[in-house]
Amino acid sequence: MIARPAILPLVLLALAAAAFAPEAAAAAKSLGVVYADGRAPEDVALASLEKGSDELFISAYDLARIFKATKFWNASSRKLVMRIGNYRYQFTVDARVVVVDETPHLLRLDVRYDRGAVMIPLEFVTGILAARVAEKITLDPGRLLLTIGSPEYNVTAIEILDDKDGTRAALRLTDELLYHIDSETPGILRLKIYGGRLDPLDFTVSEGKGLLNRVRAEQMEHDAYLFFDVKKSVRRYRVEFETAEAREGAAGGERKLVLFLERGAAPEIPDADFAGKKMVEMLDEGAKRKIIEPVRTVAIDPGHGGPDIGKIGPSGAREKDLNLQIALMLRDRLVEELGLAVVMTRTEDALVSFDQRVETANAAGAQLFISVHCNGWFTSDAQGFEVYFLAPARTDDEERLARDENGSAAYERPVGGAGAGDDIDFILWDVVQNEYLNESSDLAEMLQREMSKSLGIRNRGVKQTGLRVLRGLRMPGVLVETAFLSNPKEEKLLLSAEFRERIVESTVEAVRKFQSRYGEMREKRTIE
Amino acid sequence: MIVAAIYLVPRLRPKGPAEVEQVSEEMRAVTIFFGDEGAEGFVSETREVPAVESFEEQVKLVIGELIEGPRDSKKISAIPPGTELLQVFWVEDTQTLLLDFNASLSANHPGGSTGEYYTITNIVKTVSANFPHVARLQFLIDGNTAESIAGHYAVVRPIDVKKWR
Repeated sequence: MIARPAILPLVLLALAAAAFAPEAAAAAKSLGVVYADGRAPEDVALASLEKGSDELFISAYDLARIFKATKFWNASSRKLVMRIGNYRYQFTVDARVVVVDETPHLLRLDVRYDRGAVMIPLEFVTGILAARVAEKITLDPGRLLLTIGSPEYNVTAIEILDDKDGTRAALRLTDELLYHIDSETPGILRLKIYGGRLDPLDFTVSEGKGLLNRVRAEQMEHDAYLFFDVKKSVRRYRVEFETAEAREGAAGGERKLVLFLERGAAPEIPDADFAGKKMVEMLDEGAKRKIIEPVRTVAIDPGHGGPDIGKIGPSGAREKDLNLQIALMLRDRLVEELGLAVVMTRTEDALVSFDQRVETANAAGAQLFISVHCNGWFTSDAQGFEVYFLAPARTDDEERLARDENGSAAYERPVGGAGAGDDIDFILWDVVQNEYLNESSDLAEMLQREMSKSLGIRNRGVKQTGLRVLRGLRMPGVLVETAFLSNPKEEKLLLSAEFRERIVESTVEAVRKFQSRYGEMREKRTIE
Repeated sequence: MIVAAIYLVPRLRPKGPAEVEQVSEEMRAVTIFFGDEGAEGFVSETREVPAVESFEEQVKLVIGELIEGPRDSKKISAIPPGTELLQVFWVEDTQTLLLDFNASLSANHPGGSTGEYYTITNIVKTVSANFPHVARLQFLIDGNTAESIAGHYAVVRPIDVKKWR
């Protein structure tokens, strides 16, 4: 008597579980949905509701979300009306008919009502709906993958050629994007394309050719990465956009970014002998890189100041103070260790406008600009350092205007900021830094590498965004977010002189590397 | 016993997104963007808001969901506490949407390039995902243009929605 009530639910549960099993298997089917509008890909549950049919059903709730539909449910007539784009679709539960505006269309199976949801056969999406929405809809039935819209790729194809000089991997781009290549991992060349958008499947090369073993690609939030697995005998490489002459006859606007792997003159040496040896980038032939002046003066910009406190840490540390402390220490080191002149955008706790900061650096004729900040987030979770350089953010009209004016000396903005509020002035102001984006990204990458070696906190990478203080700089410029003041652990680090010392040391080292890279380039050009 | 089990099965079934279907108001499914916990990427949530005729009112409802914040605790709102959307204006000629926020958007901002970037980007992404015809977005604070929200990005002029990165 006592045992029975306890056992009964268990037995029932077991039976219920058994009854569930086949359905659970069917319900486990899910549809992957990939969007071109910035939404993250998602998995949507599909149901199998019709005995003896493979047809899968999607809930009206999911459908409305995927297609940003409006919907209206009439419980008494069991009709559901959805508006997607310019059309109105009316479904009736337990009927095959879908009324599109005034015209009836037939599905193969009934629309169903299941567990409180209107369930629509998937054929509606690929048939009736796909023919009427603006975006292209494709369903890969094998992978159960639905793609909404066509992502706009700007890196579109790869082609590999091999000849007696070496192996070339030519990437087709719709625009001249910035890139960075490194050979930190032996045998792998990692090419980062800023703002690159590609379909990784199109860039997967598993059968080697010449000096190239394999290629694979990754699409990240902002940038695209290509990984070239090269023969260990490769000692020298370079990457550059093909010249204007070579481009003649090519489709309008199309660019080719070419990675060249040099076939050495030496006889083939067993791969093993090269293990761990780094490849060297050929700088002498990188025709695109302009010769910049040797670094003599560095502008250092401690972020915020005065009433603009910046971020305040959980224990009260103020960003403006930390920025200034780090900046002053950096000034002393650059002077002592590298013999450079330094100009500061502020040396006191004072409010300085964006334009004043930029003008201080321009007026001093500085060859590098480094802005020092501490980061902040809405919770204590975010961690690590990051380095920024400028992404010019202009509208089409502004770009047209900038192109028209570019080349004229019109954007030589007088110091003192005459006409600061003027639209044209603002736009031209932006163009100035465009001249230095290659060098700015180089400095950012070098800083990132040095900091990742010595800071011991998360490396969040190099980012390209429209930071205001980098606009208008007539020199390569970067902004360093040293660590998160919103994170108690990192606030503690920032408050320790030892950690700030490491920030300064790695920055000095990056400046040293920048000097030597561009010095080497200058020398090679002069010899030629 | 078997009969009892079969009878129980429908009751044991988990409820799907059931009640949502029962509303009799016309609803619109919208996508709202947030940051992830570590500020290392963007994540979205879907909401249903009443479908309304006025474009400006529809924008208010959508941005209202953004301000309300994520339902999932693993997502982080990058809209400072106390932020309110005061007014919405639409300029047809230049396809510019003006969003007028109260001072909290700037005054209560925790700071940092990352924090400010996510604040702007979550608004830009939410607008562009739900209203693809909007070409430019102009921020206003208490009815006026502002140089910046937290001191890193210029918002004094309209942002090109398609080119913002």
